[in-house]
Amino acid sequence: MIDTGSTIGKSFKRIDGVDKVTGAAKYATDLKFNNMLHAKLLRSPHAHAKVKQIDAAAARKLPGVKAIATILDVPKVLQYWFFLRTPKKEKQIFLRDNVVRFIGDPVLAVAAVDEQTAEKALSLVHVEYERLPAIFDPVEAMKETDIKIHERGNIAFQVKKELGDIAAGFKKADVIVENTYHTSKQKHASIEPIGTCIADFESNGKLTIHSSTQLPHWSQHYLAGALGLRLHKVRVIKPYTGGAFGGRCGVIHGLEVMCSWLSRETLQPVKMSFTRAEDFCATETRHPMMIKMKTGATRQGVLTANEVEILSDTGGYGTHYIGVIADCMSTGIGLYNIENYQFSGKAVYTNKSMCGALRGYGNPQMNFAQESQIDIIAQKIGMDPLQIRLQNYRKKGEMDPILNERILSNGLEECLQKGAASSDWKKKRTRQPDKDYIKSGIGLSCMLHGTGAARALPDPSSATVMINSDGTASLHTAAADEGQGNRTVLAQVASEILGIEFENIEVSQPDTDITPLDCGTHGSRQAYCGGLAVRDAAMDARKKMLVYATEMLELKKWDHLSVKNGVIFETANPGNQIPIEEVMRKTQIGDMGICRQIIGTASGIAPAMPGYYGAVFAEVEVNTRTGDVKVKKLTSAFDVGKAINPDFVEGQIVGGGVMGIGFALTEGLQYKDGHVLNPNFTDYRILRSCDTPRIEPIIVESNEPSGPFGAKGIGEGSMVNVASAISNAVFHATGVRSKRLCITPEQILQGLAELK
Amino acid sequence: MKKIEIQMTVNGDIFELAVSPTDRLIDTLRQDLGLTGTKEGCGEGECGACTINIDGKAVLACLMLTVQADGATILTIEGLQKGRKLHVLQESFISESAVQCGYCTPGMIMASHALLKQHPQPDEDLVRQGLANNLCRCTGYERPVKAVLAAVDNYKERADD
Repeated sequence: MIDTGSTIGKSFKRIDGVDKVTGAAKYATDLKFNNMLHAKLLRSPHAHAKVKQIDAAAARKLPGVKAIATILDVPKVLQYWFFLRTPKKEKQIFLRDNVVRFIGDPVLAVAAVDEQTAEKALSLVHVEYERLPAIFDPVEAMKETDIKIHERGNIAFQVKKELGDIAAGFKKADVIVENTYHTSKQKHASIEPIGTCIADFESNGKLTIHSSTQLPHWSQHYLAGALGLRLHKVRVIKPYTGGAFGGRCGVIHGLEVMCSWLSRETLQPVKMSFTRAEDFCATETRHPMMIKMKTGATRQGVLTANEVEILSDTGGYGTHYIGVIADCMSTGIGLYNIENYQFSGKAVYTNKSMCGALRGYGNPQMNFAQESQIDIIAQKIGMDPLQIRLQNYRKKGEMDPILNERILSNGLEECLQKGAASSDWKKKRTRQPDKDYIKSGIGLSCMLHGTGAARALPDPSSATVMINSDGTASLHTAAADEGQGNRTVLAQVASEILGIEFENIEVSQPDTDITPLDCGTHGSRQAYCGGLAVRDAAMDARKKMLVYATEMLELKKWDHLSVKNGVIFETANPGNQIPIEEVMRKTQIGDMGICRQIIGTASGIAPAMPGYYGAVFAEVEVNTRTGDVKVKKLTSAFDVGKAINPDFVEGQIVGGGVMGIGFALTEGLQYKDGHVLNPNFTDYRILRSCDTPRIEPIIVESNEPSGPFGAKGIGEGSMVNVASAISNAVFHATGVRSKRLCITPEQILQGLAELK
Repeated sequence: MKKIEIQMTVNGDIFELAVSPTDRLIDTLRQDLGLTGTKEGCGEGECGACTINIDGKAVLACLMLTVQADGATILTIEGLQKGRKLHVLQESFISESAVQCGYCTPGMIMASHALLKQHPQPDEDLVRQGLANNLCRCTGYERPVKAVLAAVDNYKERADD
């Protein structure tokens, strides 16, 4: 691998920094087009109902109203790109029916000359509903047979997997622990609300969509399918995006398809923007789960058996319900070497907003249960929680039984050791309990998360590198940057290989007319999968460039050349050199017999789906009078293979840490009779600057052999094991074991009362 | 609805506008003046993405009617930079890697600007209090707080702000 030390491992400043600090960066909400219409959605007031009749005559007559689309015209997109694999499977993605399945489910959209007119038009629409009984409790949904939320029943998906012999595993155990855990319905809460797009259908039959999607190409596929268009007639452009965290994994329920349909009717651009309340009530959330777990271990701390039963609540529709459960299974089984493992998972529909992808996928839920179990076992056998993990984790060189592949890199031990040292684990763990009513404690937990999805889903990455005649380069990739900094990191990779200075590389925004096929941004994949595509495209361009330079330097073999800082030179004789600019000018313009641009391309799937690892040490103070839990510090050590840009990796660790604290202590949608009770930032509390503790990020580099310069993922994992570490710390501080997220003061006070 | 004539100074330019009494200041700035650097994250005064400065103080543009800004001197993120030179806070948000998605960034910088005007030498606690109205979902606040502290030494109140 080429690594001149020029750009890899250095914290270059983000290429979009100036745009973002000056207000010049345009997000979807900032875009405006001539003759643009504004659309608004009429949403269902019922949790479960059939739309019998829609009377929109009065609305249509309102001056300024241009078009109306209803769920009877426009299909819903139950997006999961696994189903794009065959035309037959693809049909499962689209659902056109007259049923609404949660309060806020879109029924109809109006496009009008301005928002006020669109809103007024909605008030003139009369919808006749036939109300159906609603189910909110997943346990009830699983049992209920008369009330069917979808035609094929309420069980969306189920899976079972057994490794070894579970009964024999429990027989070997000296200690068996059995508990049931519950997790909350967390929201992405990106600061740009989810749900803005502009659809522009032109009379030539081409649809252009400006949408803050994580998956531009799959959105293109969904829109083509929903509207009956061919792919070359659908162009998805992603502008700057105000955070995503899984909430923009494709198209948004009721957004792009409705707008496209309205634009096709009117041949005018149509813009729709959801309010914050719409974002909270009617866009995807994390899957709340009920996890039963029975875990066995010997007195020596060998984990002998784990039996897991998951009930996942996917809400009114299913999108990622399969992947999320599969993720629980692969991360739960993958992290520790537990010989006998039985996993069963079920996803059920309920009449609440649909669930989807959210940072960590199913892993934070699974991790909360499994890391709590291991902590309980450690306590029962009197073992250090650090030691039991060191003893049981699956090491480098061992087989991952789900992927059926060998683990090529695993820096978990280093994460644990460094985190323990930095947090002063041993001392804090063994000190005398507080006599005061404020009790402090420290807890830890581990995690494994997959990088990309090469073994689970269609997961292509592509890149094109074009070298300009002055020796600068343009990189075209649809590796959607939602703020993590992918575009900057990919420019670093290209710069390193091409030998062209970082500041001389321009990176595109995703545009499906220009940027080649990319799965988009999910699964912590862009430094790794995107990095590999850019690496290979740059290698292709580099070789082509060096072939011309070989001739100009009067040498025989191109691979006798090196390139650095814009200069190509003979590796064995660096004095023999020529600037890239000179070579490029000559080949592209100067020599009229050549006139060829150097273009490098690559496209394909990553060779692996490497796991990345982390250990979080949480320090808490619990007020035993009020039940209030305060996180004092997180020490978060993550093995990312190689940090191509350490500042950005730290940004993920700290940002994910804070989101994880929210998952542990404050976040979750509250429902009453299908209504969301907290659809705003006052009642749904994400942490503020004055609430956040010190988070110490520790980067561990295990050098993943399949990765670009050794890199693997970080984005999702950084929040996965924060809640479990906090819960374990709360137990250490108080003796109260929380089995339900989020951990509320009421829960603590009740737990303390039960201890007495 | 009858329009009301108002005058306000935005980023050094004087605007005479006829606005509806129900127009929100955020919409006037974004829609009428094209200053889309001021962001809307909630429309309810909870997220701080629309923070601007009026007469040197941090104000939420989504909670103010345009008519209330009659005669006001407004500074938005677009007015912070002088010519091609970035403001010290803008520079420091870039150099401290305090920006990720960037949606909260203009509001954060404008809140910091007002804070430093009032407290030229804040400690970390004060900066954390000063940014407490500005939600950020990406950074975990550590870097933005650092960026403001890093800007303190170079921060000089400018006469025309």
